[in-house]
Amino acid sequence: MRWKVSRWLTAVVVIAVVLAFIPTGNAQQKLKVGFIYVGPIGDYGWTNAHDVARRMVEQQLPVETLYVESVPEGKVEPFIDRLVGQGAKVIFTTSFGFMDGTVAAAQRYPNVVFAHASGFKRARNLATYMADFYQVYYLNGLMAGALTKTNKVGYVGAFPIPEVKRHLDAYALGVRYVNPQATINVRWLQDWFSPPKAKEATQALIADGVDVFAFTEDSPTVIQESAKKNLLSFAHYSPMYKFAPKQVVSGELVHWETIYLDFLRKVLAGKYTADNLQDVDYWWLLAEKAVEVGAEPGMMINPLFVSRLKSTTVKTVEFGTLSVYDLVQRRIAQMSKNPVVFDPFAGPIQDRKGVVRVPAGHTMTVGELTSMEWAAPGVTGPWPGEP
Amino acid sequence: MSWLIDVLIRGVAFGTPLLWGALGEIYAERAGIVNLGVEGMMILGAFFAFAVAQVSGHPVLGLAVAAVIGGSAALLHAFVSVTLRANQFVSGLALSMLGLGLAGLLGRGWEGSPLRTPLPELSVLPPLGALLAIVLWILLYHTRWGIILRTTGESPAAADAMGVNVSLVRYLAVIFGGMLAGVAGGFLSVAYRPSWTEGMTGGIGWIVVALAIFASWDPLRAVGAALLFGTLFHLSFRLQAWIPPEPLQMMPFAFTILVLAVTARWGARKWQAPEALGLPYLRGER
Repeated sequence: MRWKVSRWLTAVVVIAVVLAFIPTGNAQQKLKVGFIYVGPIGDYGWTNAHDVARRMVEQQLPVETLYVESVPEGKVEPFIDRLVGQGAKVIFTTSFGFMDGTVAAAQRYPNVVFAHASGFKRARNLATYMADFYQVYYLNGLMAGALTKTNKVGYVGAFPIPEVKRHLDAYALGVRYVNPQATINVRWLQDWFSPPKAKEATQALIADGVDVFAFTEDSPTVIQESAKKNLLSFAHYSPMYKFAPKQVVSGELVHWETIYLDFLRKVLAGKYTADNLQDVDYWWLLAEKAVEVGAEPGMMINPLFVSRLKSTTVKTVEFGTLSVYDLVQRRIAQMSKNPVVFDPFAGPIQDRKGVVRVPAGHTMTVGELTSMEWAAPGVTGPWPGEP
Repeated sequence: MSWLIDVLIRGVAFGTPLLWGALGEIYAERAGIVNLGVEGMMILGAFFAFAVAQVSGHPVLGLAVAAVIGGSAALLHAFVSVTLRANQFVSGLALSMLGLGLAGLLGRGWEGSPLRTPLPELSVLPPLGALLAIVLWILLYHTRWGIILRTTGESPAAADAMGVNVSLVRYLAVIFGGMLAGVAGGFLSVAYRPSWTEGMTGGIGWIVVALAIFASWDPLRAVGAALLFGTLFHLSFRLQAWIPPEPLQMMPFAFTILVLAVTARWGARKWQAPEALGLPYLRGER
C-alpha cells in the first residue's frame, strides 16, 4: 500500500515537472519584460501597485511581461538569472533591498536593460526610478491639521528609515502649517505588512487621543480599525476609500505605469539601450502624475469633508487668509508645475529639537531627501536613529 | 483603572485567535501528534471564511466553512504523520507553506474589498472560546474519552493494549485541531480585521504552537496564556514610547523556552510534554 502511494506521488511530481517545462508556444517575438517583486501581488500595497502597472503596460505596449513575486531581499540574483533565461531583455527590480543583487546582475548581463526602484546605484545598463509621496503626504497633513478636534493626529509607520521618515516629516509639516498646536503621535511596526501589528498600533494611538490617522503599511487595517470609532484617516498606496467611505478623507495613490510606460516606450524606440542608462533616474512626483492625491482615483477629497475644509481658514504669507481647501488646491497647482513652484522641504526648517535642518533659501535635494533622519516639530513618540 | 480594562480588552481580542488555535493544537499534541501546520490551516481558514462570508453575507457560515477547511488540511497532516508515519515536523512545516501558498493563490482578486457583513470583534468567539476551553478541560481530565486521548499521547502501546484504535484517535484529534485552527483564522478575516489580504495571519500560527507548550498542554491554562500573550502584543505598541517593541513581541517565545527549560528540569510529570509526542506509532515496535 505504501509503495503504491509513493509511486503514485512520484509519478504526479514527474508529470508536473514535465508540464512546467513544456514551452507555451508563442511564436511572436515580443520584447520580454521581467518584474521582480518583494511581496505577494495580493498585498494590496506596494507589490500590488507594481503589478497593476505591469498589467497596464502589457495592455498598452507590444511587450510580453513575466514576473516573480515574494522574492526575499538579498536573494534577487537567481531570480534575475531565471528571467534572463526565459528571454527577458528588460528587468525591473522593485525593492530597495534588491539593489546590490541588481548591480551584480547588471554586470553579468551587459546586454540586458535593468531598472531598480528606490535605489541610488546606477550603471550603463542600470537605471533607477521612484514615484515618491512626500508632496502628497504634505497635502494630506494640511487636511489632517484642519480636521483634528483633539489636536492629535496619528501616524503608523512601517520602519524608521529615511523613506518613511521623509513622508512622516512632510505630513507633520503640513499638519503644523495649518494647526501649530497639533502633535503627530507615532508608532512603528518594524514591518511593511502586518495587519495584527497595524491594528494594535492603531488601538494604542486611539488610547493616546488621536482622531486622524495616516500610515505606511500595506493593508487597509488602520483605516478599518479607526473607522470603528468613527475616526478619520488617509489612505495609503492603493484605493482604500471603500473600506470606510464615511471616514477616509483623502490619501496617496501611485501610478507606477506612468514610469513603466515612459521607460519602455523609450526602450522600444531605441532611445534607452543597455549602454546609456548611467544617468537615467526617474524621481517622479505630482508634476509627472506618478502620484495622485486621493483615496480613490479621480476623487481628490472625500465630498463629505469638503465643507469642513472650506470653513477652516489659515493665514499664509503668499496667499493671505484662505480656506484649507483652497490652500490644498493652490499647493497642488504649484507642485504640478515642472519645475515646482513650492516644495514642502524648502527652508528654513528646524527639527523637533530646534536644530536647523534646512537653511533659509535652500530646498532639500533628492540626495538629502533619500537620506534624511531628523524628526519634524510636533512629532511625538519614539524616533530610532534620531540625529 | 480604565487603562487596565482597555488593555485587557485588546488582550482578549488578539488572544482569541491564539486561544482557538492553541486549544486545537493542545488536543492534537495530547494525542501524540505535533502539527506545525497551524499557520497554514489558519490562513486557509481565513481565506475561506472571508470568501464565504462575502458571498453569502453570513460570517458565521464562513466560520463553519473555515472549520471544515482547517479540518481537511489537518487530515492531510494526519494521513502523512499517522498512516505514512512520516516525520511530523517536516509534514507540519510543509502544511504551513502549502497553506500560505494555496490561500495566496486562491485569494487573488479577493483583496481590496472590505467584508460587507463583519462579525463584531468581541461578540461570539471570545466567550465561546473560554467556554470551549472549560469543556475541553473537563473532557480531558474527567472523562473516559480524556483518558483515551491522553493515553494515546503518553503511551500508544498501552492504549493499543486497552483496545483503543490509536490511529483513529490520532486522526480525530488532529482533524479537530485543524478545525479550531480554521476557526481561529476565520476570526481574523471576518471579525478581527474584516477583509482578506495575502499572508494576513502574519505568524500568529507560530505563536499558537508556542502557546500550546507554554500552557503545558492544559486547555484552562491556555486561556490565561492567550490573554497574557494577547496583552503583551498590544502593550508592545502601547508602551512603544518607553519600551522598544521587539522585547515585548519576543516575550511569548522567550516565556515558552523558559517554561520548557524549567519544566524539563524541575517540573512534575503532568507539566511535561506527552511522552510519545512526535513519535509515529507502529504496533509491535519497542
